[in-house]
Amino acid sequence: MLWKVYCALSPTACGVTLFLCWICQITVTDEPDVLYQKVEVLVKGHDRAVLDSYEFFTTMAAKELGINISKVEEPKKKIERLTLLKSVHIHKKHRVQYEMRTHYRNFEFLRLTGSTARVFLEYLQRNLPEGVAMEVTKTEIEKVPEHILEPLWNSIPEKEQSSQ
Amino acid sequence: MAVSFGGAGLILANHAVAHMSRTLCAVPRARAIHSTAVCCKHQAARIRVGKGDKPVTYEEAHPPHHIAHRKGWLSQHTSNLDRETGAAERTVEDIFIRRFIFGTFHGLLANELVIKRRGNMLVVCALFTQKIPAYKLYFLIGYTETLLSYFYKCPVKMEVQTVKDKVVYKYL
Repeated sequence: MLWKVYCALSPTACGVTLFLCWICQITVTDEPDVLYQKVEVLVKGHDRAVLDSYEFFTTMAAKELGINISKVEEPKKKIERLTLLKSVHIHKKHRVQYEMRTHYRNFEFLRLTGSTARVFLEYLQRNLPEGVAMEVTKTEIEKVPEHILEPLWNSIPEKEQSSQ
Repeated sequence: MAVSFGGAGLILANHAVAHMSRTLCAVPRARAIHSTAVCCKHQAARIRVGKGDKPVTYEEAHPPHHIAHRKGWLSQHTSNLDRETGAAERTVEDIFIRRFIFGTFHGLLANELVIKRRGNMLVVCALFTQKIPAYKLYFLIGYTETLLSYFYKCPVKMEVQTVKDKVVYKYL
């Protein structure tokens, strides 16, 4: 079963960021670690040069840590334009135009464990430049539940025979 | 389009002078009325060229259409991005911070403030002139940081650089 866990983390939205101590004790538990088929990171910003440098940083960090990057895409920029009246009162013919440009960058990391994803994402988020927002989409892999493993039609003929 | 009403009056007056050359009274000069359409010039964040005695910094010299080409952004946060909220609150906070620091460090600011937001933290980058002794500047920086952090309930850091005089880019 595949579950999509979506969490939007823009620096202005998060009130309290999770604090992971880098010198903390390593806990060993019997629970199996969560597995992610892919982790998609979408970064948005106003400045294309800032996103270029952040892409260089992310790809270098992933290579050093041995994390699989499948693709680095650049979706098309979105421009939001506003046309407003220039004057406070009347003068309808004279207007002012403003625009807000958003550039995007998409990173896709494949086959991560839960702990790797947590640490790597925290490292990326701590080094996010100001004025840049990030959205993370994680695709988790779960084991198929036991009651779906066997098909239903295997158990029905037994019941019919018993009823007759 | 300028329209002048004085022309016709002048011609008539000349004819009158030609015909009535003996009259004692002087012919009055006709006054012209000029009317134009609304002068719709842009005047936002622009310093008009003058005599050449006004020193102007790089930031002040460039008008707003040079942002992202020759200028950077003075206030860096994510709320103006696509599908992000909170732009109005950030703008109001920025305006308050700029006025507060302009008043606290009176006469010391060499250039506009740069306000950055990293996560929860507010980073105010300022450029001051060296008009007051260093210990007074340290006190004012600490005072600003503490007061603003209590006011906005978030860590506030100031990154300060001092300069001997205002850095002049050109004279307009």
